[in-house]
Amino acid sequence: MGKAIVKIKPKKYKVGDIVKVDFIAIHPMETGMRKDKKSGKIIPAKYIEDVEFFYNGKLFTKMDIWESTSTNPYLSVNLKITEPGEVKVTYKDNTGETGEKAKKIKPKAA
Amino acid sequence: MKRRTFLKTIAATAPLVAVSTPTLLSAKATPKSPNAMDLKTALKAITGGKAVTDSDKIKLVVPEIAENGAVVPVKIHVTHPMEANNYVKTIHVFATQNVNVRCADVHLTPANGKGYFATRVKLAKSQDVMALVELSDGTFIKTQKPVKVTIGGCG
Amino acid sequence: MKKVIIATALLSVSLFGAQATQFSMSKADRAMYQEMLENNPADIFVEEGGEFFDELIGEKDFAAFLGVSEKDLPKYIAGFPRYVKKIDMVAGLDQVMQAILAQKNEKPIKLKSKKMFSMLAYVKSLANEEKINLDVNADEHIKAAYALGKKVYETPRGGRGLACLSCHSQATVGLALRTQILPNLGAVNAGGTWPAYRMTKSSLRTLQRRFQGCMKNALLAVIPIGSPEMVALEVYVTNMAKGKEIAIPGLKR
Repeated sequence: MGKAIVKIKPKKYKVGDIVKVDFIAIHPMETGMRKDKKSGKIIPAKYIEDVEFFYNGKLFTKMDIWESTSTNPYLSVNLKITEPGEVKVTYKDNTGETGEKAKKIKPKAA
Repeated sequence: MKRRTFLKTIAATAPLVAVSTPTLLSAKATPKSPNAMDLKTALKAITGGKAVTDSDKIKLVVPEIAENGAVVPVKIHVTHPMEANNYVKTIHVFATQNVNVRCADVHLTPANGKGYFATRVKLAKSQDVMALVELSDGTFIKTQKPVKVTIGGCG
Repeated sequence: MKKVIIATALLSVSLFGAQATQFSMSKADRAMYQEMLENNPADIFVEEGGEFFDELIGEKDFAAFLGVSEKDLPKYIAGFPRYVKKIDMVAGLDQVMQAILAQKNEKPIKLKSKKMFSMLAYVKSLANEEKINLDVNADEHIKAAYALGKKVYETPRGGRGLACLSCHSQATVGLALRTQILPNLGAVNAGGTWPAYRMTKSSLRTLQRRFQGCMKNALLAVIPIGSPEMVALEVYVTNMAKGKEIAIPGLKR
């Protein structure tokens, strides 16, 4: 499985703010409908299908992703900041491969 | 039964869409996809036949003309509370004329703070992108916008 | 020669047609694509390139090889391709890296490899926010490279007798070719925004590779990456964006 990035926007936030959580994973997101140019064989479907977002261990967003989502998928949701800690995003593709990436949450003093 | 398995079962029994439309990604007619599902089937599977009303509570942002069909930005803002008993439960994104219309099913919680989701999708050709939203009270609302896909350029 | 170029350009203009307006990007659309730069998948490839670079070379040795201080390195990078004394040729950042690896007796990395593309992008990104300061008159070598680049740009080749100039001249800017509006390569800062993530390829691509793709489509024999002609072409096109800021990785169709 390729690498991933988790970003929080804006960079500076405090408790009570709603931030944006941006997630990008390097992944082919093969539809299973493409043919290999050289062999003429179908490239098997390989796409991220489950993505889960955790805030200090608590699941706050769960996604079912399909192969119609672009290669190297970008997924973004909001999160209300309530305490310092960590956001962790875990993902799994249809072949069973998994990955995860975390980002520290450090709210500024109010 | 887990949601995803449920939808996959529907796919297996639903008539496969005649797949002769060339996709952006292959020149010839594409083979059947195991996830092939048309809009009607997907809507039925998700809403169970419930009424879906068009709503301007959903702000769907997509380009009028997509420079390419491989990476089309999609942004969805739902103007609705995100409280414990009243929140945006799920945002579904559909590429209404793709072989598999489903792009993402995003299950939110009040912890999100806002009913927002953004992603990038593949559009096999010019078509409507649809945002179907389920609210925590079980009601469904939707909106859609046409995106023109230009397939061209040199290299 | 000039007559031929003008004739070709005019012929090409008549082929482009007047559909430019229907393919022009609206302000709102442009804003959407601009925003995508904030979340560019290529950032991950650049980061990986940085890991390779730091492991194999590092800024200290890179700067030392070029004969500049680490402090001056970003600004110096913003002037590439340059004449590099140690290898006695006008070279790109990737070729400099190859030379350093050879000097260190490290395993060579091909110019046309994912690893090198990511390392090239990383090193160039060290110059982000610096203005392109390529100086085509700095010495006889870069002067010659500029002249060669101009020649390559303007020489009609291939089955259709096309040159880069046929589609990329002042006369054709703004016209539509195969549904895409032809850009002013200087104004769009080609020199400062490649390497870039190409959406149609879902991967990190370099300027020279983009040239190759264009040549293929125009039925021109493809020029090898790193060859004197290709480096010269990069000098010529990068110079068009002189003074513009470097912003790597870019995001392209």
